[in-house]
Amino acid sequence: MTDSKQHGPEAQSLEGRIFRPANPKELAEAVEQAFDYRGDITLALASGATIEGYLFNRTPTGSRPFLQMFPKGQSGERMIEYADIVSIAFSGKDTASGKSWESWVEKKESQRRVEAEQAAAEAKARGHL
Amino acid sequence: MAVPVSQMYTVATYVLAQKLKGVKRYPLVLMLEPLFRCNLACAGCGKIQYPDHVLDKRLTPEQCWAAVEECAAPMVSIPGGEPLIHPEMAEIVRGLVERKKYVYLCTNAILLERKLDEYQPSKYLTFSVHMDGLQEEHDLAVCRDGVYDVAVKAIREALRRGFRVTTNTTLFDDANVERVRRFFDEMMAVGVEGMMISPGYSYQKAPDQKNFLKRNRTRDLFARLLSERNRGWRFNQSPLFLEFLMGKRDYQCTPWGNPTYNIFGWQKPCYLLQDGYVKTFQELLEQTEWDQYGTGRNEKCADCMVHCGYEPSAVEDTFGSWSGFGRTVKATLLPNAR
Repeated sequence: MTDSKQHGPEAQSLEGRIFRPANPKELAEAVEQAFDYRGDITLALASGATIEGYLFNRTPTGSRPFLQMFPKGQSGERMIEYADIVSIAFSGKDTASGKSWESWVEKKESQRRVEAEQAAAEAKARGHL
Repeated sequence: MAVPVSQMYTVATYVLAQKLKGVKRYPLVLMLEPLFRCNLACAGCGKIQYPDHVLDKRLTPEQCWAAVEECAAPMVSIPGGEPLIHPEMAEIVRGLVERKKYVYLCTNAILLERKLDEYQPSKYLTFSVHMDGLQEEHDLAVCRDGVYDVAVKAIREALRRGFRVTTNTTLFDDANVERVRRFFDEMMAVGVEGMMISPGYSYQKAPDQKNFLKRNRTRDLFARLLSERNRGWRFNQSPLFLEFLMGKRDYQCTPWGNPTYNIFGWQKPCYLLQDGYVKTFQELLEQTEWDQYGTGRNEKCADCMVHCGYEPSAVEDTFGSWSGFGRTVKATLLPNAR
C-alpha cells in the first residue's frame, strides 16, 4: 500500500554538502541529518580512511555512540563510532529529491511521459516488467 | 462476509489469549518488507527512495520466517517495494502458509498473472492488490498508463484460479467521493473478497503540510465516502476502524500492533516512521519509547489516521469489553446506522 507519500514543497536537498563538525553536538546533528538522507554518504575517519555507503541506523546514546551503514559495494553492514568521524559528505544522489507528488503534478505532460518511460525501461532492463 | 470465519476465529482467540495472559503490547500484523525495489516509480512514494545498492538488498526466506516466528503475530502483510520482484517470494509465502499465518501479499499486480503458477490457492494466502481508484486516478497515482487494466486482468485470473484477492486503496485529499464510490462498485463487480482503505500519510520529510489530510478533512472525506454505503461493499478490515475514519469514535495509536521488519531490522516505532532499528522484536518492544508516539504526543503523528496504527486500536476495542464487541457487531450488521 502506497501509504506514505511525500507531499508539499520539498526542503532543499543536502546533496553535495560536507559537514566537518567542530564538537560532539554538531557531530550528533550531522549524523541525524545523514540518517534522514536518502542517498549515500561518505565518512572521513580519524584513521584517514573513508567509507561510502548508506547510513540506516544510529545509536546516539550511551558511552560510545555509533552508527550503522551498508557500505557501497559490500554485502555486510559496518558499525562506526561517532568518535572516529571527522567529516560527513552527502556524496550520493538524494533519491528523494524532486520526487514529491507536487513536483510530479507540476511537470509538463511531456516531461512526465519521459520520466514514466524511463522508469519503465529501467524496470524492464532488470526483468521486473 | 469479507473475512473467512477461520481467520476471524484465529485472530479472536489470539487476541483473547494475549488478554488472558495480561500481555499489554502484542503484535497483530507483521509488516514484512523483504525488499524496497519496485517496478513502478509512483510520485511521492516514501518507501522506495534509496540508492541502488540498498534497493538490491533482500531478506532471505530464512530471515523472513525467523522474523515471523520471533514476533508470532497471526497475520503477515508483505508490502515493499514490489514483493513479486523477489525471486524467492513464492518460497517465502509457502513457509508462512506452512506456519499457518494469514498472509496478505501486497502487489501492484503487474507481475501477478505471470507469477500465479508459483502459488497455491489457500485460505492463508491473499493477494492484496494496490488500486488507488478508477482507471484515470490509478494510472495517474502510479505514474504509468495501463497499469489499472493490467491489475484488473490479473485480479480476474487470480479469482478464476481460486485465490483470495482483496484491494488496498490509499486516499488523499484530492479524492473525488463519487468516483471512489464508483470504484468500490467496480471492484465488487470484479469479484474481490473485500477492500481495504486508508488515508495516506504525509511523508515526514515534507516541510509543508498543506496537502496533508488533516484529521477533520480525513473524517469528512471518509464520512461522505462510507455513509449510506452500498450494501454490496465488503471491507476486509475492522468495522470500528472504518467508524474511526468517519469520525464516529476516537482512538489512540497502537504502533506496536503492526510491527515492521525489513533489511534494516525491526523498525522503531512503526511502519511509517523511521526513528531507528533494533535487532530483535523483544528489543523493539522494550527499547521503543512508545509514550512518545501517537496523536497529541508527537508532531509526526499529529494527523495520522493510518490503518497500521489505528486498526489494531479498533481490534483492541472490539475485544477489550463486551460493549466493544457489541459495537463491532452493530457496525458489521448495520454499517449505515447513525
